[in-house]
Formats: sequence, structure tokens, C-alpha cells
Amino acid sequence: MKWSFKIRKLQVFRRSIQISVVAFMFLVPIVARYTNYLASRELDEALTKWEGSPQGATLATVDDCIRSLPGTEKERVGKIIRDRKGCLEKAQFIRGGPWSAQIGSVSVTDPLAASESIAASRSVHWVLVISVALPLLITIIFGRVFCSWICPVGFLLEMSDKFRGLLKFLELRPFDVQFPRSTKYILLFTGLIASFWLMSPLLGYIYPPAILGREAHDYVFAFFDRAESGQAGMGWDGLSVMSGFLLGIVIFEQTVARRWWCRVVCPGGGLYSLLGVFRLTRIRRRAASCTSCGDCVRDCPMGLAPMRDEMGIECDNCGVCLSVCGDDALHYRVTKPSDFKKVEPMVV
Amino acid sequence: MIDSEQPKTPRRNFIKEAMTGVASVAGFMAGAWWLSGGKAQAKSSALRPPGALDEDDFLATCIRCGRCADACPNRAITAFTKESGKDLSLKPGPGERGTPVIFPRRQACMLCNGVPGDDLLCTAACPSGALTLTKKFVESIREHVNMGTAEIDENLCYSYQGSSCGVCIRACPLEGIALKAGLWERPILDPEECVGCGLCERACIRYPQAIHITPRA
Repeated sequence: MKWSFKIRKLQVFRRSIQISVVAFMFLVPIVARYTNYLASRELDEALTKWEGSPQGATLATVDDCIRSLPGTEKERVGKIIRDRKGCLEKAQFIRGGPWSAQIGSVSVTDPLAASESIAASRSVHWVLVISVALPLLITIIFGRVFCSWICPVGFLLEMSDKFRGLLKFLELRPFDVQFPRSTKYILLFTGLIASFWLMSPLLGYIYPPAILGREAHDYVFAFFDRAESGQAGMGWDGLSVMSGFLLGIVIFEQTVARRWWCRVVCPGGGLYSLLGVFRLTRIRRRAASCTSCGDCVRDCPMGLAPMRDEMGIECDNCGVCLSVCGDDALHYRVTKPSDFKKVEPMVV
Repeated sequence: MIDSEQPKTPRRNFIKEAMTGVASVAGFMAGAWWLSGGKAQAKSSALRPPGALDEDDFLATCIRCGRCADACPNRAITAFTKESGKDLSLKPGPGERGTPVIFPRRQACMLCNGVPGDDLLCTAACPSGALTLTKKFVESIREHVNMGTAEIDENLCYSYQGSSCGVCIRACPLEGIALKAGLWERPILDPEECVGCGLCERACIRYPQAIHITPRA
């Protein structure tokens, strides 16, 4: 096609997005709790009562940040005070987590959540269609970018994957068993059929981003509940057995199979892959520049081989191969849906 | 490069792969079913947020995102788990784990009274359509909201037992429509008009509560 581009610092940009998603996952419940105190006119009481404790400091910081925005303060008898209505409006800007969120007036929902809900309820609600439109559009244009650019669990597992180097340093050679990648599609379809049959959305219970979002939310809420019930400091309450499940995935990936969840099991990743079959943005290799050094194959988080053009629908457009390529052979390209089959196989 | 071992016998390899695949899928599906509360015997008959679809449709449509709970200004809506219902000895029924519920004894739905905005905030937050968007007007609330119905136990109610109380009538957001004051502040209920918000149960000074909400069937 006509244009292609390559950004050297693309990975820095990707990391910043991933880190901010993780930060927002904790920040949003804190602001939700702030809104609760504000709505029930308990905020000033809480601020004075919890002064000096981590909860009080957190609330005070959020309060300062929100009051620094325009339209959140008013003057009454010569004193600047908080404008409750304005603060409430500002504090409700972002809600939700990786599973479903509201940013401004835009609602975004994971396509997996939507497909499950549609399968289970056997009906289509307009709210859900509107909510899933933006993620669908992004997936159709950019492919499976949720996994590599947004998913907080993808980020967690990418980070934990780096610790395999430490295991190797300790001469504990971890396995790397190649499990069949088709598992995720089978799990996706089994899950949807089971949801339809049992009339209850099931995959959300084992979908790690949804779990992590819930755990973060519950942890933050329990953090404030501690202060309300007069317990001091921080604790582990709010975390459920599902944190153990996530930890189990991390340990399994460290010892048995690299990036096992994202490559092999994740039903959401499977759905994003399928939705991104005809994605417009693809990674293309210029064979003339490629020296077949294999750096991209070594570093690909999904375990694909850009060097041999073996990417297909599994590629999540993370761009690691672009950044690692020393020969300037890999690029993002805008392609027609029709000409992708000519170059690469669909499934690896 | 990454494929260190090529399969020597493709067919055996295929069978092995298929078996691991099927085993893990079966394991994860069983896990999801168990986590959803699949092994629970009885339905919980919990109070759902305002504007909820009929129970079966609601359980199928809700994606368990928890956005309604976050939006609730009164913190009345909580995700239904074993822990959240523990002190009221309520357990999530099959497929109910993580769904939003209201425990009116702890915190009732105040129908977003006194909060900025035109809609009931939970219904505006719901991305799945499990909660129907409801405007904050009496007509709209009476049309869409049917969480349950209050029931008065005259043997417990102070007003029916010689004293006069009337707390539930003052608490009712549809005072004069759903709950009317009779002789000596006796609450007189119109079950047709009651939306089941639970504010009367929350307000009742008797323990056990003389007025309580029966969630809609």
C-alpha cells in the first residue's frame, strides 16, 4: 500500500498506556468512593476523622485534584467552599474497569461481555450495542490491540515473563511447553454455547482482566471499609480466591509455558483475534531488508515469527518486533482485507 | 528457532494436543460454572436494583461489571457474593455471584433523591440493558421500577399495637401513594403502587422489622 510508518519509541508509548490503565484501575474505585462520601455529605467528616491515615490522605489528594478543576468551587460569605454539584459531575467522569467502563459520556464494554450477554439473554439490547461499538471499531481497524496495549493482565504477564530470565540465571531452567493455541477458540465457543444453554454469562468469571478489575475495585472498597470500621492501616481484605487464580497463571507461565494464558487459553483474546481477521493495520516484512537475524522471533510476546511472515490472526500489533528489528525490515502497513491471505497463513 | 522439537508422529501429537485442549476447556468451564454459583441449590430471591428486567432475563443479561454499584450514591447496591451477604445470612443462588443486589436492612434505594441528574444513576450506568433507563420522575419510576413489595406485620408494628410511630410513612418516597397514614399513624399499604425501594424497612425502628420488602417473584 501507499503509506507505512515506524516509530522507534513505540514501546515507550505502549508501556505508558499499559501503566496508566493499571493506575486507573485503582484510581477509579477511589474516586467512586470519594463520590459516595461527597453525595452523602460525609466527606468533610471523613477528611477530619481520618487525617493522617492512608485513607484520609487518599481522599484529601483526590479532593485537591478535583477541586483544582474549574467549576468545582464557589464563594459563600467570603469563603471559598466546595461546589458539591460541580465536584460530583467532575468525579463521575470515569467509571468502571477493564470489563466495562464509562469515559465521559462514552460507554465501552468488552466484546466478550457483550457476546456472552447476547448469547445468554437471547436478545440484543441497544445500550449494549452502543457500548460495544467503539471496541469493535478499534478491533476491526487495529486488530487485537486490546491484549497488547490495554489489558492489565497482559501487562502483568508481560512483566512476569521477564522474570524467567532470573530463573535461568539461578540455573532453574523453566519449561516452555507448546500447548495448542486452538484451545482459546474452543473455550470461547464452548463458553458461549454454555452461556446460551444455561442462560447465564459464564466466561466473565474466568476472564482475567474482568477478575483483576473486580479485585482492584474490591480491594479499594475494603481499604475504605477498614477506616469506616475503625481498623487501622492496610490489609489484604477485599481480595478473593480469584487473586490466587491470577497468581496461579503467573506461576504456571513462569515455570511451565511462556505466556500460556494469552497465547493458548484466553477466550477474550480469541474473540479479539477473530474480530481482527480483516484488520486494516498489519505488520509487514520487507524481505529485501530482512537479514533473518531472528530477533523478532525471540522477542515476540505472542511467540510468533514475523521473520517468516507467520503471524496470522494471533498477532496483537504490539509492535515489539518493529522496535527490536535492527534492519528496519518490519513496518505497520495499511492493507486491504483481500491481500492478507497472499502473504501469511491465517492460523499458525 | 522456537520450535525445538518437531513432532515425530503427527497423529499421536494431534491426539495429545486435542486431549490437553479438551481437558483444559472442560476444567475452565467447570470452574466458571462453579464460580457463578452453579452448585447453589436455591434461588436467593434478592432485591434487584431499580429498573431491572425480570429475574431470569436479568441474570442472563447482566454482565456483572459492577458499574451500577459504583454509580449508586447511597451505596445501596453491592455485588452479591458470599461475603457481602454473610451478616444477613443470604447466599447467592445459581448464576447469581457478582450480580447487583440491594440489602434494604443495610442500605435501601433512595431512588436517587437529592442527587444531581435526571436519571436513576444505576440505570444510566448499566451498559448491558439489564437495568432499563429510568427517569427520576414519579411517573417514570412508577412505570419501570418494580423491585418488590412491602409487607406489614401488624403483630410487630408499634402503630398497630397501641403506640403510634409512622416512621415508615415518613421514609416512603411515594408517601401518600404507596404508603398512607391511617388512624394513629398506622401504615396502610397499596401493594400496586409500592416500588419496593426498602426505605421503610431501613427506617423501621422495630427489630425484627415490622415492615419488610418481599422481592418480586
